[in-house]
Amino acid sequence: MQKKVSDLEYGESGIVREILASQHDLSCLGIRRNKHLKMITRQPIKGPVVVIVDEMEVAMGIEIAAQVVVEIA
Amino acid sequence: MKEQSNNTTTILMVGNPNVGKSALFNRLTGANAVVSNYPGTTVDYTAGTLIEDHRTYEIIDVPGTYSLKPRDAAEMVAVRMLDEHRDATVLVVLDATKIERGLYLALEVFERGIPCIVALNMTDAAHDKQIAVDAAGLQRILGVPVIATTAISGEGVKHLADMIRKAQAADISAIRSRLNGQEQNRRSMAGCGGCSGCGGCR
Repeated sequence: MQKKVSDLEYGESGIVREILASQHDLSCLGIRRNKHLKMITRQPIKGPVVVIVDEMEVAMGIEIAAQVVVEIA
Repeated sequence: MKEQSNNTTTILMVGNPNVGKSALFNRLTGANAVVSNYPGTTVDYTAGTLIEDHRTYEIIDVPGTYSLKPRDAAEMVAVRMLDEHRDATVLVVLDATKIERGLYLALEVFERGIPCIVALNMTDAAHDKQIAVDAAGLQRILGVPVIATTAISGEGVKHLADMIRKAQAADISAIRSRLNGQEQNRRSMAGCGGCSGCGGCR
């Protein structure tokens, strides 16, 4: 099953399958296709989404998170 | 490596935010740049001098950046520094606990064909997290000197200062070949007396 990162439940993880936002902006932060990520925080009122990739916390805007599609592990 | 008229070589310290660039800068130059445990502390550059083995280096602590395609003012300063010092040597500082993310920026720097040397910093933190990084193996793949350092304690900093003169331009296609298991004959590092690490000494 595929989900947008913005739709992940707290603690839910998956493998990045598609990045519709700027590949470069996320790649330099360690988020690329086939990387495993876990959503740990989604701030209220359209706040940022924080994920863990390679034991690093990466925060991204909700609009960017909606453009990253993951395959639920 | 740029040899200025006054026999000074410029070294740009480039790396992701919060990888210990300023701590390493302070160790190398004896300066007192502000160091903190959160990213974004250095938003403008700081310069200092290192004299090692009768050579003088002007070391510039560049603000942290995740890539060479700037997204904020501090990153713009970093890219501008690289553009303005086209003949400088780059000291790429990697966080040994987040090496993959650092290598993204390192490869962008390598693509510019600038002489480079890599400091694998925060090896103490990597050790605490039981992360082992094969610095010699990384050096063989990248074809530039890779020196393990811990800026906080000063471990490896003397060796790094000694190796700066051996910085050399990386060859991206050769790196790709080595990653695919194809060895290539490599040029010896400039002024290399034989460190047995880069593969150019054979």
